[in-house]
Amino acid sequence: MDFELSDDVKGAIARAKDFADKYFTEEIAERADSEEQFPSDIVAISKKEKILDFSNPWQVLVTIEELVRRDPGLGISVTISAFGAEIFMFFGNDAQKEKYMNPVFAGKKSLGLGVTEASGGSDVASITTEAKLDGDSYILNGGKMFISNGQIADNFLVLARTSPAPSPEKKHRGLSVFVVDAKSPGFGINKLHGKLGVRATNTAELIFDNVRVPKENMVGEEGKGFYYIMTFFNISRIYVAAQGLGIAHGALDRLIEYSKKYADHSETGELKEDMQLAIAEIATRVEATRNITYKAASYLFKFTPNPIVTSMAKFYAAESAVFSTQKAMELMSLHGLTSDLERFFRDAKILDIWEGTTEVEKLIITRMMLKEGGA
Amino acid sequence: MEEEYEILENTVKDFNTKYVDNNSMKLENDEMGKEFVKMLADQGFLSMTYQPGAGKNTDIKAFSIVLENLAKSAPAISLKTLLTNSFLSIVNEQSILDEVAKGEKSGTVTFSDLLVGKGQNGKLLIENNRVKGEKQFVLGSDSDFIVTTLDTGELVLLRSGFKVGKKHKRLGFRSVGFASIVVDSDDFKVIDKDGTRMLQKLYEDLSVPVAAMSLGMSEGVSQKALDYAKVRTAFGHYLKDFQPLAFELTSQIAEMEILKKYFHDIVSSTVNQKEAMFLKVKALALAKDISKTSLQIHGGYGYLEDFGVEKFYRDSMALSVLFHHEEKDMEKLSGMVFESRAGFV
Ligand SMILES: Cc1cc2nc3c(=O)[nH]c(=O)nc-3n(C[C@H](O)[C@H](O)[C@H](O)COP(=O)(O)OP(=O)(O)OC[C@H]3O[C@@H](n4cnc5c(N)ncnc54)[C@H](O)[C@@H]3O)c2cc1C
Repeated sequence: MDFELSDDVKGAIARAKDFADKYFTEEIAERADSEEQFPSDIVAISKKEKILDFSNPWQVLVTIEELVRRDPGLGISVTISAFGAEIFMFFGNDAQKEKYMNPVFAGKKSLGLGVTEASGGSDVASITTEAKLDGDSYILNGGKMFISNGQIADNFLVLARTSPAPSPEKKHRGLSVFVVDAKSPGFGINKLHGKLGVRATNTAELIFDNVRVPKENMVGEEGKGFYYIMTFFNISRIYVAAQGLGIAHGALDRLIEYSKKYADHSETGELKEDMQLAIAEIATRVEATRNITYKAASYLFKFTPNPIVTSMAKFYAAESAVFSTQKAMELMSLHGLTSDLERFFRDAKILDIWEGTTEVEKLIITRMMLKEGGA
Repeated sequence: MEEEYEILENTVKDFNTKYVDNNSMKLENDEMGKEFVKMLADQGFLSMTYQPGAGKNTDIKAFSIVLENLAKSAPAISLKTLLTNSFLSIVNEQSILDEVAKGEKSGTVTFSDLLVGKGQNGKLLIENNRVKGEKQFVLGSDSDFIVTTLDTGELVLLRSGFKVGKKHKRLGFRSVGFASIVVDSDDFKVIDKDGTRMLQKLYEDLSVPVAAMSLGMSEGVSQKALDYAKVRTAFGHYLKDFQPLAFELTSQIAEMEILKKYFHDIVSSTVNQKEAMFLKVKALALAKDISKTSLQIHGGYGYLEDFGVEKFYRDSMALSVLFHHEEKDMEKLSGMVFESRAGFV
């Protein structure tokens, strides 16, 4: 067991720090947040500077952590362009990899993933978007809700029903994944406004009104879509855990900074024990989150994913992010309320929701443990 | 509840239905507008501590009922009501009192001196008969009149000669101004030489009203979660059928109902400071917890403002920072519990 990071990974952290120092100014972060504007300029620069090195997933992980630690909205916007790409990596054919995945990894195109529908996100198998075979193509009808990169992505991976469920218990059968060009006729996009946090990220509703998708745009085999999406979530949840780690760490940074200046901020000038214990608790959570996230990542990056540990990392990171930002706000009083910590507080809550709610993650852990007999 | 209070509660509820519920996003995120403030005043909500013609007289129970019920629909409106009434309770100039009570002008009181260390919220001094300087963290900074403390300790009423400076980030209550004010005024009056003491007293007297707001927020947001959980399904069940959601919300609602009983006990007799602080601390914590649970029950929709849930998540956190100081309030309360100074190391 070795807890030391490699030089490459340390290099990625240093690059992410430099990048954030340069581009994640408070002015830019605040504007993106208040105007709910995707920071296209910074994202373009990050692609040019190859801030995300997809050839090494450890580097991707620590880059997310470090950028989100500086600002969650900007950090996630910069690191979400390839959302869903692993589906091509594991299940796509060579032509799809060439056409859709490589340009995304090269920073030339953006991707989105459409799973959730208005009627539900947790119960993935109940989606109702339909894809019907018509000659050489499928016709898509339905819609997707809360889709990240909705107005930005060039292409979307979309989960749709291609054949009826054999029975209510087997709803997860008959679902397939398609890659859909955002410029296809019949493809509608409505930007969603008024998010609590991560307002720099772009979120939209997608509408498919007889969208014609060539047959060769089906990714992998027909009917295996549910499995592909679940496999993908077992990858992406580790990156979400890294987001949580970044947010919790960001809250800790701010609380520590505040405590150093405590003599100026408080009347008494002394750093009392309540504050000392809070710092210790948040710091411990950050450390525990890092350990569990890196453990989940190390399983995955050796191609032996452990979904139990992955779900543990995802929910624990989300809870730690929410806990840490809230605690820091309470202790920093007006100084927290009027600083960028208030943004962290709003941003943190998304982690309890997206890519599997905290309740769903906990259910996965127990169900898999009961089935498999341990983590 | 006695009949007069029931009537008052129904009046606020009707007001919410008629004027707030369909327009709450604008009223809470943008601005309330003079017309709306006038309507609040016409209902008597802004004059719970001072009634034109009748003078100062606060029925804490009536005041709390108004705040609680306004907060169920729109916490920002409840806060505006709280600030205005705080102002009226502390100011003594007849013409200003009347204008503010009637909603023609607005007034606020700054509490930041009690929440941050000395010199941490600007400098405000009298120089050559003018109040000069800057004050940070002014909640209600868009008001016509401001009551604030000077560095030398006096509590002053600023009638004019100030303008809004740097706007602060606004986690909650977005339609209530929150900024620094830049002051150069000869139009002021010293209300009290020992301003900090007076402000402290007012802050302590607000324990029950702040608790009332918090309880109103808990009631408002939990009702949304109850309604949603009865109609939304996942995996073939209503959300209410899932134990983790049902049990958590139920247990928080149990806490809320107990606090409401305690609250009604407190406001039905002479308010005891220790009990009032117990109530405030617990009601604020509950408002945060129950908002978090209710948002979570709404899933992705909870994260969007359209469902009117995320505002409670923001406002409950903001309220607990604006009217509660974790260290100072808890130290004071611990002192009361231990009957000697406690919790200061
Ligand atoms: C900003 C944002 C960006 C997003 N980006 C994407 C994206 O790019 N692609 C995409 O496909 N989706 C995306 N989502 C959707 C997100 O993944 C879903 O919101 C999430 O999966 C929850 O689904 P839901 O909102 O329908 O909540 P629901 O599934 O309706 O759940 C509501 C509540 O019920 C609980 N619940 C459900 N089932 C159970 C159970 N069995 N036991 C106990 N509790 C249960 C949930 O935990 C939750 O608290 C995004 C959402 C947001 C807000």
